Amino acid sequence: MRNKKISVKNIYKSFENKVVLNNLSLDIYESESLSIIGESGSGKSILTRCIVGLLNYDNGSINFENLTNINALNDREKMNYMSKFGILFQNSALLDSLNIKENLKFASKQDSFTKILSEVGLPHSVLEKYPSELSVGMQKRVGLARAILKRPEVLILDEPTTGLDPIIARQINLLIKSLVRKKKITTITVTHDMESVYEFADYVAFLKNGIIEWYGKAKKINQSKNSSLTNFIKGIN
Amino acid sequence: MTRLLSNALALTKRLFKLIFSFFHTIGEIVDFFLDCLKYSIIEKFYTNIFLKQFIKIGFNSLPVVGLTSIFTGMVLALQSYTGFSRFSAESAIPNVVVLSITRELAPVLAGLMVAGRSGAAIAAEIGTMKVTEQIDALKTLSTNPFNYLIIPRILAGVISLPLLVIIGDIIGVMGGYLICVNLLNFNPTVYLQNTYNFVQFIDVFSGLVKAAVFGFLITFMGCYHGFNAKGGAQGVGQSTTYSVVSSSILILLMNYIITSFFFKL
Repeated sequence: MRNKKISVKNIYKSFENKVVLNNLSLDIYESESLSIIGESGSGKSILTRCIVGLLNYDNGSINFENLTNINALNDREKMNYMSKFGILFQNSALLDSLNIKENLKFASKQDSFTKILSEVGLPHSVLEKYPSELSVGMQKRVGLARAILKRPEVLILDEPTTGLDPIIARQINLLIKSLVRKKKITTITVTHDMESVYEFADYVAFLKNGIIEWYGKAKKINQSKNSSLTNFIKGIN
Repeated sequence: MTRLLSNALALTKRLFKLIFSFFHTIGEIVDFFLDCLKYSIIEKFYTNIFLKQFIKIGFNSLPVVGLTSIFTGMVLALQSYTGFSRFSAESAIPNVVVLSITRELAPVLAGLMVAGRSGAAIAAEIGTMKVTEQIDALKTLSTNPFNYLIIPRILAGVISLPLLVIIGDIIGVMGGYLICVNLLNFNPTVYLQNTYNFVQFIDVFSGLVKAAVFGFLITFMGCYHGFNAKGGAQGVGQSTTYSVVSSSILILLMNYIITSFFFKL
């Protein structure tokens, strides 16, 4: 029995006459891992930003459990709503004027971060370092630690392996897989990387020009007859 | 004829677009100001961030404001001497120096210096945070960016600028004193006595009011342009330029408005 967590209903979003999301509908279920894939500019990141409440959509509605139409929430309600999400941003988005400990303190007031650091495979010594002193891979791990530290209801991973070499990307994929499986958090992953999809996605939504062209189980993605999707998987434009 | 008409139409269209964009920006600035006001009243205050910004904007600007003030005071004394010696009014130099420094030069020059130094830094820092999604990250970590980034900076600007100007006043007057006493053979006691007797509370006060307003304008414009930065490095650079240009123009405009207000008192 799948429980609906987030329901996106017929949303539109445009920027200066360019329609980015076009009457898009999508359901996201509790404890499942959904990967949103598609070419650059297909609307993947915009969709997740609308879901989180960082962007207002023009039309339609997004419902989160009993909350209906999150566009209509006031400032305080929206802040509470956003706190349900843990997000790993594309560039990690660690506050570069603060060290790692201070960054993690934004997510949790606790004093010891040893456990979470070991979960994401980082040494304790990184706590006193600044983001600029860490490699991109380590920054991603800290970003992931910050995202899961607040015990989110939904984890959003925006291009978790972008900018990483294949070895580090594989490590990050395995790390995410173990965390997602262990914690059973509802996860939405925006990615270009098919390895991420094969590794930890339960379901996949393929976006093209602001429309979901294909939705289904990750295991069945290679059996799809959708030419755009098969071209995307093969890396053909 | 048709070509002329289409050119005129295109020109009118561009003109309307420009006017619309101007009012749109004004609307955005007012909206940003109202948000600042709203969050400064009802939400959390970050004392440590305020103190950090106070050091950055105020204390770290001391050398540049001090240097500007001392050289301005020195130049003012020399130029006044050139003019006043033509009709044997050299004794008025201390009066001119103290009046010009306290009412006008210290606040305006300190304002322009801080706009170039701290205003640009604020716009660049917040702009970088915007384009690298750090501000979005703050939002999702239950931290209101207005409380965390904007309010402490504006408050630090409003408080630190008057303090900088008080120091600038003293250094500027001392610059005039140094020139008059060491180069123009003024009696040091008479110079200081003249300065002290001539300066009134309103002279210093009007300068401090200007400084507080300039402090607000510099930090507000820095925050506004940084917060609305778009794109990547180019967007951040653009927001920095806009911040310095707009705050400099506003400083000069407000300087006239405040001066005319005190002129009527």
